[in-house]
Amino acid sequence: MNRFLELAKNPLVISSAAILALLVIGELVSPGFARGDQIVRLLTVSAILGIAAAGQNLVILGGREGIDLSIGAVISLGAVIAGNVMNGSDAAIPLAFAAACFAGFLIGLVNGLGVTYLRIPPLVMTLGMMGVIQGGLVVLSRGVPSGNAAPALMAFVSRSAFLGVPGILFVWAAIIVLMALVLKRTRFGWSIYAVGSNENAAVLTGLPARRIRVLLYGLAGLFGGFTGVCVIGYTGNSFISVGDQYVLPSVIAVVIGGTSLSGGAGSYTGTALGAIALILLQSVLTTLNLEFWGRQVIFGVTLLLLMLLYGRQARLRV
Amino acid sequence: MPIATRVRLMQPVLRASDISKSFGAVHALEKARLTVERGEIHALLGANGCGKSTLCKIIAGTVGRDAGEVLIDGEPAALGSPHLAEEQGVALFYQELSLVPQLSVGENIFLGREPHTALGFTDRTAIVRETEALIARVAPVAGKGFVPDARVSDLSPDQRQLAEILKVLARKPKIIIFDEATATLDRRQVEVFFDILRELRADGVSSIFISHRMDEVFAIADRITVMRNGQTVAEFAASETDRYAVVYAMVGETGAIAASVRDHKPLEDTTRLVVEGVKAARLGPVSFTARRGEILGLGGLQGQGQKALLSGLFGAEPFLAGHVSLDGVDVTARRPADVMAHRIAYVSGDRARDSALPGRSIFENTAIASLVRERRHVIPGALFRERFAEVLAGLNTRYAGLDAPIGSLSGGNQQKVFISRWLSPAPGLLLLDDPTKGIDLGTKGDFYLLARKLADEGATVIIYSSEDSELLSLCDRVLVLNGGAVTADLSGDRLTPFELTQASYGDAA
Repeated sequence: MNRFLELAKNPLVISSAAILALLVIGELVSPGFARGDQIVRLLTVSAILGIAAAGQNLVILGGREGIDLSIGAVISLGAVIAGNVMNGSDAAIPLAFAAACFAGFLIGLVNGLGVTYLRIPPLVMTLGMMGVIQGGLVVLSRGVPSGNAAPALMAFVSRSAFLGVPGILFVWAAIIVLMALVLKRTRFGWSIYAVGSNENAAVLTGLPARRIRVLLYGLAGLFGGFTGVCVIGYTGNSFISVGDQYVLPSVIAVVIGGTSLSGGAGSYTGTALGAIALILLQSVLTTLNLEFWGRQVIFGVTLLLLMLLYGRQARLRV
Repeated sequence: MPIATRVRLMQPVLRASDISKSFGAVHALEKARLTVERGEIHALLGANGCGKSTLCKIIAGTVGRDAGEVLIDGEPAALGSPHLAEEQGVALFYQELSLVPQLSVGENIFLGREPHTALGFTDRTAIVRETEALIARVAPVAGKGFVPDARVSDLSPDQRQLAEILKVLARKPKIIIFDEATATLDRRQVEVFFDILRELRADGVSSIFISHRMDEVFAIADRITVMRNGQTVAEFAASETDRYAVVYAMVGETGAIAASVRDHKPLEDTTRLVVEGVKAARLGPVSFTARRGEILGLGGLQGQGQKALLSGLFGAEPFLAGHVSLDGVDVTARRPADVMAHRIAYVSGDRARDSALPGRSIFENTAIASLVRERRHVIPGALFRERFAEVLAGLNTRYAGLDAPIGSLSGGNQQKVFISRWLSPAPGLLLLDDPTKGIDLGTKGDFYLLARKLADEGATVIIYSSEDSELLSLCDRVLVLNGGAVTADLSGDRLTPFELTQASYGDAA
């Protein structure tokens, strides 16, 4: 009984169960929902959210109320940069990735510096950054969409690369493995948990907590920029608010996956499952003909329920 | 005079008897008692951790008691909260300042009981008027800018202390507890404070006065109560006793030290650690040396710079000036990572704040420092597991498995995990900051043995303890700190409870 309870409390088990349940519900509501090609399509959408959530996950793991609300704007920026760099040319794809990731990384570093050295609360810092980027994008593009994706990029995101599976899913799988290895098997990974769990204790074991936190925000920006390129590959061309829809879902995916919003505990594997569960929920709701705002309500309620479910963690006995 | 009033006046204003209080397994108070007469200044003395602060907090309603009785004016007093205690005329002067920095002096003094105008608004004119009257009492020593409208955050530390004292006076209590009220005041301010105490005494107000300055106690107190190990051991009239008798009462039996692991074999004569003129905000300049294999204690009252010295040596709060060398190598630290490579280790007694990674496994909690020390970027799982399982076993740690969360352990076993961080390889300089705080006796014993073993293997150990008995039973030598300076260097025959207490209190008997 105890073991069963423990399993039932494991976020990985909960999100896997949610995924199965949603597939069954989807299939019941609309037969064909759980067909192979449908699942691949859902996974592709999940991958884009999942990659965005990787950055969110790192920042949240780092603690101190870490969160990156600028991630949507960074995704938009990445998409716009990539679109303009590529302008339909396959040869420019590597440059597009590099430019978008670099821009995102820089913005993330600024977030990190503001949060760490100027002690601006992450919520305020990244919200402010979101405004700055959005405003900047409007000024630069004058509100007119410009640039478009190279054909090979679009194929990478949505067409089969191997056995009906598009390339982006292989990339996502690689990211999942890499994140798990880094978090569990490297000093950097342990440092993230240590800093998120008790920054003072981390410093007293010799870890450069501030530098780590700045780097986490930088990486969040980098993942945001990368996601931006994937997004333009998915939609074909960019508009300046294309990333906005990822802000709340990226946080929810992290929470569904069992990462504590107070930092120091969680895994990216959980977040990846969380992203899949969230995308499934979204499409089941769409299948049920729920409009955008209705879905927002359900998302918000899901987040609150999960906080209730996971929120009560045992405190340290001292 | 009505008979009832006369009967009341014959009673002591405060009689606390058989007060007991435990925090977990620690008995802070065991049948302690304190009697304070109307209109007297009563000094309450005792070594660190003797329970005097706990007793005061019980009387002031901030801590509940497990057993015992408190009578105020002969009536059983309900002391469930500070507010209730205040209603019965007890006011506590807080050692940790209780002022709100963003508010003005006047607003702080009347916080929670502001006078109101007919319309129900706070009556600012009344606050300013009454605050001015209060400030007039300390006017000669108040310094510049000490006015009712001054923001507390703009005041100097001694002015804040004065504001704190005025805040207590404004409540017009029957009994005032001054816990270390003079700690940040200069001599002139202390004199004014004593004048206020004497005025209060003339008005029939009683003061309970806790101070670590023996000369102050004899300058102002009418009677003295001495506590030791949670019990009241002596009561004196100040005019009928002397410092020697009081210190003797504080220390108790000066003879045997139970279960001593003090090593009397001569130390190798190799200087290992050289500390030259180090300074921090409330420390120094301090210079001293320590030898190979030496356990060096930092003694003295709490908050005299011992912690600043240890965290400075480790680089957690770097020194502002001075140099440190270990085995001839400069190890003046800017941050902990700098000195960890030189096998310098630091273990704090405040586990929740300084050591624990809550929610993480025992393995992570123990192995994390070694990654930094050995400059490893990839975790050698099997190697480290084996290594730390061995270290933990060597410390008699009881735990379910390396992957169990740190929170599943008792406080003592947690502390063993945190010290195990630094044991492989063994440290050359081990800094211990009150490491056994809140730990059971069995684990404490394990700790002493470990410290002695490490020293015998050549390490230098520097330990601060809030318990004098710990220093006496463990250390080869004790440096006594007072006001951020080393005021005594006790070893050999001079390392006795009496000498330690006397040096801590900073003046000759």
